[in-house]
Amino acid sequence: MKHLIIKDIINSELAVSTENGEKVFKLIDSYLQKKEKVELDFVGISIMITAFLNAAIGKLYGKKEYTPDFLNEYLKLKNVELEDRSLFKDVIQRAKEYFANKEDFEKNSNNAIYGND
Amino acid sequence: MTITIPNDIRSEFEGYNYIITWINKYKNVKNTEIIFDFGRVTFLEANLCALIGTIFEMLESNNNIISIINIQPQVETILRKNEFLLPFGFNKITDYNDTVLRYRKFTPTDDLGFNNYIHNELLNKRQFPSHSEKLGKEITRNIFEIYENARTHGQCDYIHSCGQFYPNKLNKPLYFTIVDKGVNIKQNVSAFFNQDIDAANAIEWAMKKGNTTKSGDTSGGLGLAVIFEFIKHNKGKIQIISSNGFYEYKNENTTKRKLTTIFEGTIVNIKFNLNDSNYYSLVNEEEDFENIF
Repeated sequence: MKHLIIKDIINSELAVSTENGEKVFKLIDSYLQKKEKVELDFVGISIMITAFLNAAIGKLYGKKEYTPDFLNEYLKLKNVELEDRSLFKDVIQRAKEYFANKEDFEKNSNNAIYGND
Repeated sequence: MTITIPNDIRSEFEGYNYIITWINKYKNVKNTEIIFDFGRVTFLEANLCALIGTIFEMLESNNNIISIINIQPQVETILRKNEFLLPFGFNKITDYNDTVLRYRKFTPTDDLGFNNYIHNELLNKRQFPSHSEKLGKEITRNIFEIYENARTHGQCDYIHSCGQFYPNKLNKPLYFTIVDKGVNIKQNVSAFFNQDIDAANAIEWAMKKGNTTKSGDTSGGLGLAVIFEFIKHNKGKIQIISSNGFYEYKNENTTKRKLTTIFEGTIVNIKFNLNDSNYYSLVNEEEDFENIF
């Protein structure tokens, strides 16, 4: 299992930018492509925001081969503070919706603002 | 050219409407020495420096040169403490009360600079609630969400930021303001729907969970919704002014109004309550985190 320490990858204790999220995503993706299990370690991360997680984790759902079952088996999260866990839940749920069908999503958004008529 | 700043501009609809309408009269002024006369200003909310700084940026981008005169001592003290006046030939006054979050402007790529700013100006403040680490963390998270939002959606040259603590007031409020003069929310949402959307409705839409103008291979639509949820729990206040839309949430009430003229950018002004001792984590801690995917 590959042990990836976020704060070492982004060289910061603040997981707050989309660009740094992308860095983490690319690394996770490179190991998952080889079917190597990844342990993603959030040790020492003091602040984390949705923009970072959208890029680091949410983006995984853009790849069809990464099913929820696959990710549950191959990607383990470590040292995530209790108060940060709801962010993961939100980001994952959001990414699943977003990537399920982007076109449908855009159509639904239109309905949400203009109604269905 | 001399521009006299009106007295007592407050961060309410009327104040924003006044200052934006007023400053738009000068937006086509070019290659001019502009003197701002502060003689009438006897009170100024320090966090509004982020807005004034943005207005100065707009004027300076037209090759105007700005100077400041007749500043009243009590206003001067505040604006020297928060360093707003330093580029205009004033010296720094040390903020011994430790209640000022200095005025700064950041380029969109300077996230490290912003990180350091938040660390030094907010987290290291002795007034910052050390009794509630979780509250401090949530507030910091929300400030970064706003910054990231301005950075990724605004396509701006600078992000202006300023804040002020009031530790002696009942709720120990922290006011924090971020302003950018990039693409505003109305433009982004209208482009997304390919239709002209009312500015205040566009802001309200962007505040809802799942709504985003982002496209491509990264999902979005959570940042502003996370802030909104937190403000509700914290019983704070959020105001967003973008284009000619004014959106405010406070005391469980939402207000949407239209400004007389357009602000070519976005203002986010937030009041956090730091004495929120009842604050508890928003998470369902019993969630199955093992199989989160």
